[in-house]
Amino acid sequence: MSEMSPEHIIVFSTILISGIGIIVGTAIPSIVEGRAVLKALDGIIRQPEAADDIRTTLLISMALLESASIYVLLVILILLFANPLVALLFN
Amino acid sequence: MESITPQIIFTILGIPISSTIISTWVVMVVIISLALLISKSFPTALDMIGELLTGIISSVMTIKNTDNYLPLLGSLAIFIAVSNSIGIVPILTAPTSDINTPIALSLVVFFSVHFFGIQKKGLVNYFKDFASPIFLLPFEIIGQVSRTLSLSLRLFGNIISGELITAIVFGLIPLIAPLPLIGLSLFIGILQAYVFTALSSLYIDLAIATNK
Repeated sequence: MSEMSPEHIIVFSTILISGIGIIVGTAIPSIVEGRAVLKALDGIIRQPEAADDIRTTLLISMALLESASIYVLLVILILLFANPLVALLFN
Repeated sequence: MESITPQIIFTILGIPISSTIISTWVVMVVIISLALLISKSFPTALDMIGELLTGIISSVMTIKNTDNYLPLLGSLAIFIAVSNSIGIVPILTAPTSDINTPIALSLVVFFSVHFFGIQKKGLVNYFKDFASPIFLLPFEIIGQVSRTLSLSLRLFGNIISGELITAIVFGLIPLIAPLPLIGLSLFIGILQAYVFTALSSLYIDLAIATNK
């Protein structure tokens, strides 16, 4: 730990943050989406003739909720593959 | 290795042509040739596609006659669906996996929302409805920017993540393992086209609707 060069620190912190970030960033939207599906299924059971409306609303809402975890994935992809700050540091 | 930035393949007269542009040309050829083929051999299929798109738009919009907005929204749906799926062809990458294409599409939606609002309501009325309590104006502006940005980033993020994961799994186990991922990418591509069109029609509807 005594002679950590900047490259070591950058690599270590990127791996750490990517791991933690992707776990938390996909767990929370998944839990929330599961609850949304439960409520939608309750609604279909209660009123089967509204199934088409509920299905359309559910599909749009799931895609919107999914986009929250896609944002986390995007930031982590940029950190890993196309990090402009690292290029700035070593030029 | 895979990169999330576009790769330049050749130049024409000093203009760099990236793989995205070649894929977009292929998408254009596919859509136009499919349309001509279907219209000659099975014309009622075009009616069915038109009714499908009108059904998607009408289920979101609250106004009665949506024929004015069908060309823009239907073209968005067809182009995004085909260009998300063209990644199956071995050499091509999906045009929407380059950040420029989703940004261009969502900028088109942004300008057309304001254009349709001004066309329907008139310039002064539209801006009066836009900032009806005047202290909400900063939030409205931030909301417009974030809506456009999230529209483009949602499409880009879904497609680039599918392609990247498929490429990584293909590097590890080339034989059978990428197949479910390719199937998932196809499904997500069609779903994202539907979500993009539904959200664009919702934004246009919000701009047109008058509170009576």
